[in-house]
Amino acid sequence: MAFPSTLILFLIAVTAALIGVLVYRPGLTTTQGGKILAFFVLFLLPLICVGMGTTYHIDRSKRTEFCLSCHEMEPYGKSLMVDDPARLAAAHFQNHRVPAEEACYTCHTNYALFGGFRAKMHGLRHVYVHYLGTPPAPEAIRLYDAFNNRECLHCHLGARSFEEGPVHTADPDLLPAVKSNKMSCLSSGCHQTVHNVAELNKAKFWKEGP
Amino acid sequence: MLAGQSMERRLQIAGILIILGLLTEAICLMWTRPAAFVVFVGLGGLCIAAGILLYLYSLASAKIESAK
Repeated sequence: MAFPSTLILFLIAVTAALIGVLVYRPGLTTTQGGKILAFFVLFLLPLICVGMGTTYHIDRSKRTEFCLSCHEMEPYGKSLMVDDPARLAAAHFQNHRVPAEEACYTCHTNYALFGGFRAKMHGLRHVYVHYLGTPPAPEAIRLYDAFNNRECLHCHLGARSFEEGPVHTADPDLLPAVKSNKMSCLSSGCHQTVHNVAELNKAKFWKEGP
Repeated sequence: MLAGQSMERRLQIAGILIILGLLTEAICLMWTRPAAFVVFVGLGGLCIAAGILLYLYSLASAKIESAK
């Protein structure tokens, strides 16, 4: 169990114990000290516990193992381990171009204003479909919106390999089109092989899943 | 006297609701599935919010009763 989780559990235990005292002896609240205690344990401490718990859950939802904990995502986790540098997701994950512990979130969040919030809303929709809907087969899963180059440019914009790469500079119209999102980075002929989970049975793997 | 007893009763109920909410939160922290967050907000958050609101209501109603 991670340290923040232990700290929150400790705070929850202390708060619950103090509330237990008030529930058992409600007459304590007739005194000045009892009123202050009640304010702390029935108002302030629960709010702190909820705030810390929410932060912890939100941080945990960014982790790779969290995304891969649903069986629909297992093939996507395996695709990160394919031994093929042409596979975009695998190359990014294996070479730590994205933080390995937050690999899914780093590429699939939205780097616009309230992007993290939108990503969380999408996550809640995933949970709804997983538990109450009919999840599609892994190879039939599609993004809600077309992948925006903004997510790639968040890291690559200004990088020498991106700005001066021979393929990127061969056509002078290419980089402006990519930067204005008129041409997708995932276009056919560029970086079109991303997860390709339907072809995993033919793939060679670098090592076992993340 | 009766007003004091009803306030104590409300505080007890508020306390029990918050304890239930905190217990739910503690279970959800140890549960690593994505549904944990939904249960944490939907059940734990609801119990804690209800407990806090009941506590605040008991404070407000005690003020009104003492003013009368």
